[in-house]
Amino acid sequence: MSDPIKLRATVKGSTGEVRVLIPHPMESGLRHTPSGQLVPAKHITSVVLNLNGRPLIEGALGSAVSANPLFAFQLEGVKAGDRLTVAWQDNTGQRGNAETVFLAA
Amino acid sequence: MKHLARRNFLQVFGSSTALSMLVGSGLLKPGMALAIEFNRNAFEARTAADALRLIGAAGAETSPDILLKAPEIAENGAVVPIEVTSRIPGTTRLSVLVDNNPYPLALQFNFAAGAIPTFQAKLKMAETSRLRVVASAAGRHYTLFREVKVTVGGCGE
Repeated sequence: MSDPIKLRATVKGSTGEVRVLIPHPMESGLRHTPSGQLVPAKHITSVVLNLNGRPLIEGALGSAVSANPLFAFQLEGVKAGDRLTVAWQDNTGQRGNAETVFLAA
Repeated sequence: MKHLARRNFLQVFGSSTALSMLVGSGLLKPGMALAIEFNRNAFEARTAADALRLIGAAGAETSPDILLKAPEIAENGAVVPIEVTSRIPGTTRLSVLVDNNPYPLALQFNFAAGAIPTFQAKLKMAETSRLRVVASAAGRHYTLFREVKVTVGGCGE
């Protein structure tokens, strides 16, 4: 089982700042082990951020995103207590998600 | 009568809980609701020109209203931090390409109303390359690029 997503959501004024870290190998499918075996591709292909259930940011990722992807985003019209969810899916069909609420900074 | 009302309440409450659990557990496909589709084929493109064509941005014009923060020299190509912001009104999508990577298209983000078109991310860069941002607004595409020198490549050997 993979490590949990780290999700931080803070509000300054009405601007929400989101930081999300998704533990994931992000294997490109181009790398070989020392013994010469090709490491099969396993990388996140899609990620979505929802504010109070409404999708606001949707991402399509390729294999050039670093391992354990860390992203930061900004949302407007956010208040403390608003609910933030993030969900991802990788090229092998694996999925994950996390939820938090915005806290006043 | 009182009984019935309570029962209705429980049914309604129960079903919405079930739905939110479904969303929460990721059983519903992420990203169903945003309007603009991604072209997954663009992520398989082997050249920046092909990737740009596949994301529909081949004729993008250079814009000073795209801001890109990236190191001039990246010592570790496996983790190159970038920060991208578009000041172009109505920006709905930001795409990032690393021209010299085996698969140049690195990522794309769609921004709905309420999301500011800005993000930070970390990319792998195989070698020194042009880093290219494409901002899409009202069906038009704008671009900005910068050279990033890479000391140790980050795409494996």
